[in-house]
Amino acid sequence: MHLTWGPEEVAFREELGAFLDEHVPPEFERGFDYAGEGGEVGDDGQLDADNIIPDWARRWQATLFDHGWMIPAYPPELGGRNATLVQTLVYLEELARRRVLRSFHYPGYGIVSPSLLEFGNEEQKKLVPAAVRGDTIWCIGMSEPNAGSDLAGLQTRATRDGDRFIVNGQKVWTSYAMVAQKCFVYVRTDADVPKHKGISLLIVDMDTPGIEVRPLRHLSRSAGFAEVFFTDVEVPAENIVGEVNDGWRITQGSLAHERAGLWVEGVCRLDASVLSLIDVAQRRGLDQDAGVRRDIATMYEQASSLRALGYKGFASFAQGSSAPEHSYMKMATSEMGKAACEYGMQLQGAYGPVMDPERGEENGRWVNYFFMSFANTIAGGSSEIQRNIIAQRVLGLPRS
Amino acid sequence: MDFSFSDDQVLLRDTARAILSKECPPSLVRAHIDDPAAVAPLWSQLKDFTALGDGPCTDLCLFIDETGYVAAPGVFFPTTAMFAPLLAALDHELLPSVLSGEVTGTVAVAGADGHWTLNDEPVKTFVPEADRVDWIAVVDTGPTVRVLPAADVATRQTRMVDFSRLFFEVDTTGTPGSGVGLDPAVFNDLTARATAALAAEMVGTSRRLLEMAIAYAKERIQFDVPIGSFQAIQHRLAECSLAVERATAAAQYASMTLDASDAELSSSQERFRAVHVAKAAAGNAATRAAKDSIQVHGGIGYTWEHDLHLYLRRAVGSEHWLGTTSWHHDRLADLLFKAR
Repeated sequence: MHLTWGPEEVAFREELGAFLDEHVPPEFERGFDYAGEGGEVGDDGQLDADNIIPDWARRWQATLFDHGWMIPAYPPELGGRNATLVQTLVYLEELARRRVLRSFHYPGYGIVSPSLLEFGNEEQKKLVPAAVRGDTIWCIGMSEPNAGSDLAGLQTRATRDGDRFIVNGQKVWTSYAMVAQKCFVYVRTDADVPKHKGISLLIVDMDTPGIEVRPLRHLSRSAGFAEVFFTDVEVPAENIVGEVNDGWRITQGSLAHERAGLWVEGVCRLDASVLSLIDVAQRRGLDQDAGVRRDIATMYEQASSLRALGYKGFASFAQGSSAPEHSYMKMATSEMGKAACEYGMQLQGAYGPVMDPERGEENGRWVNYFFMSFANTIAGGSSEIQRNIIAQRVLGLPRS
Repeated sequence: MDFSFSDDQVLLRDTARAILSKECPPSLVRAHIDDPAAVAPLWSQLKDFTALGDGPCTDLCLFIDETGYVAAPGVFFPTTAMFAPLLAALDHELLPSVLSGEVTGTVAVAGADGHWTLNDEPVKTFVPEADRVDWIAVVDTGPTVRVLPAADVATRQTRMVDFSRLFFEVDTTGTPGSGVGLDPAVFNDLTARATAALAAEMVGTSRRLLEMAIAYAKERIQFDVPIGSFQAIQHRLAECSLAVERATAAAQYASMTLDASDAELSSSQERFRAVHVAKAAAGNAATRAAKDSIQVHGGIGYTWEHDLHLYLRRAVGSEHWLGTTSWHHDRLADLLFKAR
């Protein structure tokens, strides 16, 4: 057990710090806690596509890639520098500490690339560098109107017809579909076997005839995701990733990649929220209120014990053991984050819901965060699903 | 930051686990209710480990966590987590015989209000195991310390809900000897160390309570299935295990900060923040695990015959000693608001 990093990690952090000092775009100074799913839909229903992934954010991602800082654990040709696992943790923590995002669209580097590297053929692996650099924008076609938490119940059909698949069906909550060039589409290729065993994964070009994208607004009024309709969409047979009917295994892999480092960001965001609450309490003259002080200290206790839990899980992960601790992180950071945002509103009393820059010191910051925080306890496996996973896979309780 | 255990630490933990599961079954904890001397065979094993009292806090906490798992009664905690570190800070001549397990001791600080804060009251409260140890270190304002033979002071047991840890009032009126001065900062560090050790112990107790609930949920059949297959039970235990996991990590982090030099910490306040977090998280985990475990057990968990209440009692007793969860939250708030 030791508290500090070794000389290799310290040197790594210094090199990263120097790079960030020089290259981080000034736009981050405005604060982008929940950036990545922005973009306003006008009253005409048209989406301002530039807002979802601004040009400066695209350039930033390419810069990271070109300097080997996009995914440090990858080799240089894939935007990395063969960093160790511990160095990767240092990297994620430093970015989170500075409130800098690598990219405004995670599916390409976060899900598609690791999945293709693990399950794709040689031709498909060639798609990876552009996905990581952000030159290709990807979306992920997983959820459907009738397949949310029960993802394996998906019904979008792909029928083999000679050297192509014909795809029919509907996806929903598809982030970035409005701007994506390609989509990872999970489809049903066999309806006569148990549901987990009849799923395949296709790479689909978003400009293929028969695809219709309808932006969906978040409850926060921005439009970050969309419905995607597939009507007799022709997909070349070679676009299948892995074997026919082996798609479920890839979903499990993809989601594991998504979860691996997410806790660092979640914990850093939670820490920052709790410390900001102290500032709000002081501005509101509530910093001597015994109840407020105890409430905020309680949230600090939760946030910092979660950080310790993240490190503890990382220690066993780095040693090659499974890390059940990570199963707790997603549920706990998202739930506690929501509670902290709600508390920020509470501290403002009548001004909690005010979004008027002329009235109210926080200008809607906490109510905005609160609204957006609902996404975190739903997307990527709802808190209820996380509790099922903890109960069954960590505690070993029997399936219901 | 690395939370992994060294091979030596894993060995220490496994050794503690093996000894304690053999020497401290629930039957011993029960026997101790009527006859505190029942703890003798357990102490004859634990006395070989008192040197942990003057070593790294992480090693001590690793061991003490396992004593919490079995709700071990006796003098090990006050001797190693309180008395030995105090003697070490004083460079006291008794230290070697304490570390070799020949001599035992406890520490008396709290006055009538029960808080672990310096005072000049002659009667000290909530002194653990004061009638079974050889020496009692009495700390008064200054701080000054008097190390007195236990035989020379009057003790009166305070009946507590937890039978596994015995508390006493110690009346030092008329006892001879003048105190030795102690640096106030050192006293604060010693308090932090004892509190971190108690948090580690409570983590062990929490884990026991949670494991009992999980085991029961797997075997108890109702409506033709194990009750652990019901989502209501699963979600309760998932949340409970989150509380236990958080407390485990927080307690380990606190012991790491106590072993770290100031240069290794982001601020000199970090170890005090960490200790408040650890005790608060452990208090929450222990009482939550006790409540959830009894609820999951249903009627059988509410009986004297079942062992659950032994650990419930330990959890409640520990939560209220060396500062409740709320008390630690308030001290933590003082640090956080001052720093901002």
